[in-house]
Amino acid sequence: MDLTQGFGARSGVVGPVTGLESLNFSDEFRHLVATMPPENTGGSFTALLEMPVTQAMELLHFTDSSSSQARTVTGDIAPTTLHPFGALTFPSNSLLLDRAARFSVIATEHNGNISGETANSLQSNSGANLDRVKAEPAETDSMVENQNQNYSSGKRKEREKKVKSSTNKTKSSVESDKLPYVHVRARRGQATDNHSLAERARREKINARMKLLQELVPGCDKIQGTALVLDEIINHVQSLQRQVEMLSMRLAAVNPRVDFNLDSILASEVSMN
Amino acid sequence: MASADKLINTDVPEKDVFAFHFLQSLSNLRKQNPFDTPDQKNYRVRKIKKAAYVSMARAAGGSSRLWSRALLRRADKDDNKIVRFSRRKRKVTWKISSKRRRSNQRAPVVEEAAERLRNLVPGGGGMETSKLMEETAHYIKCLSMQVKVMQCLVDGLSPK
Repeated sequence: MDLTQGFGARSGVVGPVTGLESLNFSDEFRHLVATMPPENTGGSFTALLEMPVTQAMELLHFTDSSSSQARTVTGDIAPTTLHPFGALTFPSNSLLLDRAARFSVIATEHNGNISGETANSLQSNSGANLDRVKAEPAETDSMVENQNQNYSSGKRKEREKKVKSSTNKTKSSVESDKLPYVHVRARRGQATDNHSLAERARREKINARMKLLQELVPGCDKIQGTALVLDEIINHVQSLQRQVEMLSMRLAAVNPRVDFNLDSILASEVSMN
Repeated sequence: MASADKLINTDVPEKDVFAFHFLQSLSNLRKQNPFDTPDQKNYRVRKIKKAAYVSMARAAGGSSRLWSRALLRRADKDDNKIVRFSRRKRKVTWKISSKRRRSNQRAPVVEEAAERLRNLVPGGGGMETSKLMEETAHYIKCLSMQVKVMQCLVDGLSPK
C-alpha cells in the first residue's frame, strides 16, 4: 500500500519523542489494514475504512492527540506529517462530515478531555463554530493540528453557509450566555473568517447586555441610538451615587439626635414598609 | 423584565438585607467614636458614606460580584485613598491590539462610554466591556436599593 510507504518515508521527519512509535507504526498499520481486526474503536475504524483513502487519511490526522501515551493507530500519527495533507479537498458530503465528527468524538473518548466538548458541539450545532475551535484545550502541543482544524472548520462553515442560505434567506445568530461557547451562524453575504465572526459574537453579547441596561434605567426605552442610551445610563449611575452622598449627609445631620438602638429602628423600618 | 435576565443573572437581595447590613455598620460606627465629639461634619459624613457603600457591597453578595470585591478591597486601605490597579491598562490594550486587524476598533462609541463607566463603577478597571455592562446592571440595582433604604431611614429618624 502506498499509504504505508508514505508513512515509512515520513517517519524520519518525526521528532525524537515519536520516533519509536513511528517505527512500529507502518507495520501496525499494514497489519490492521490487511486483517481488520476489531479494536476498541471497532465501529469507527470500519467506518473509516469504508471511505476513500485520502479522506480517511485526513480524518486520521484530525484525531491526533498527544503522542506521549501509547495509543491505537490513530493516535500515533505524528503532527508534523499533517502538512502534506493540508491541501486535500475536503469531502463535500455532509454524510462524511457527520461521520468525521462522530469519529473524532469516538477516537478521543479515551482522553476524556475534549470528548465532552466535541460531543457538546455535536449536539448543539452540526456546523463548526469557531469560538469552540479556538478555545479547545491545548492538550495537543502541536499548533499545526489546531491550524488544520481551523482550516477545516472554516471550510465547513463556508459550505454550511452556502447550504443554509439556499434553504432560508435570513438567519439569526443564536447566542447563549450560559455555555462557554457562543454559537453564531454566518449570515448571508457576510464574511466568515475567524476574526469577524468573533467580532460579531462579541458585538451581539454587548448589545444584549445593553438591552438589559436599557430596561433597568427608567426612560431609556424611548431613546434611539446607542450613544444616547449609554449617556443616559452613565447619568443614572452618577445620579444614584450623588443621592447616596446626599442621604448620608442628611443621616449625619440626623444622627446625634437619636440613640441607635438597632432593634427599635428595625421594628420601625418594618412597620413603615 | 425581559427574557435576557434569564441568561445574565442580576439578582439582588431584598431591601431588608440591605437595611440590616447598613444599620449594623452604623451602630458599629457609633460604638467606635461617639458622634458628638468630632466637630468636623465632613468627617462624619464621609464615614457614613463609606459605611453605606461597604454595607451595600456586603449585602449584595459579598465576593460574588466584581464591583463589591473591589469596593471592599478599597475600604481596607486608608479611608481616602483610591488605589488604581495597574492590571487594567495591560489587559485592555492586549485585547485591542490582538484583534484590531478586522474590526472597526470595537465601536469607539461603546468603548468611550465603557471608559466612563469604568471610572464610575468600582472595580471596573480590569474588565472587558461585556462583563462591565453586567456589573453595571447589578451595581445599578444595588445602588437603587441602598438609596431606598437610606431614604426610609432618614424619613424615620428625622424630626416629625
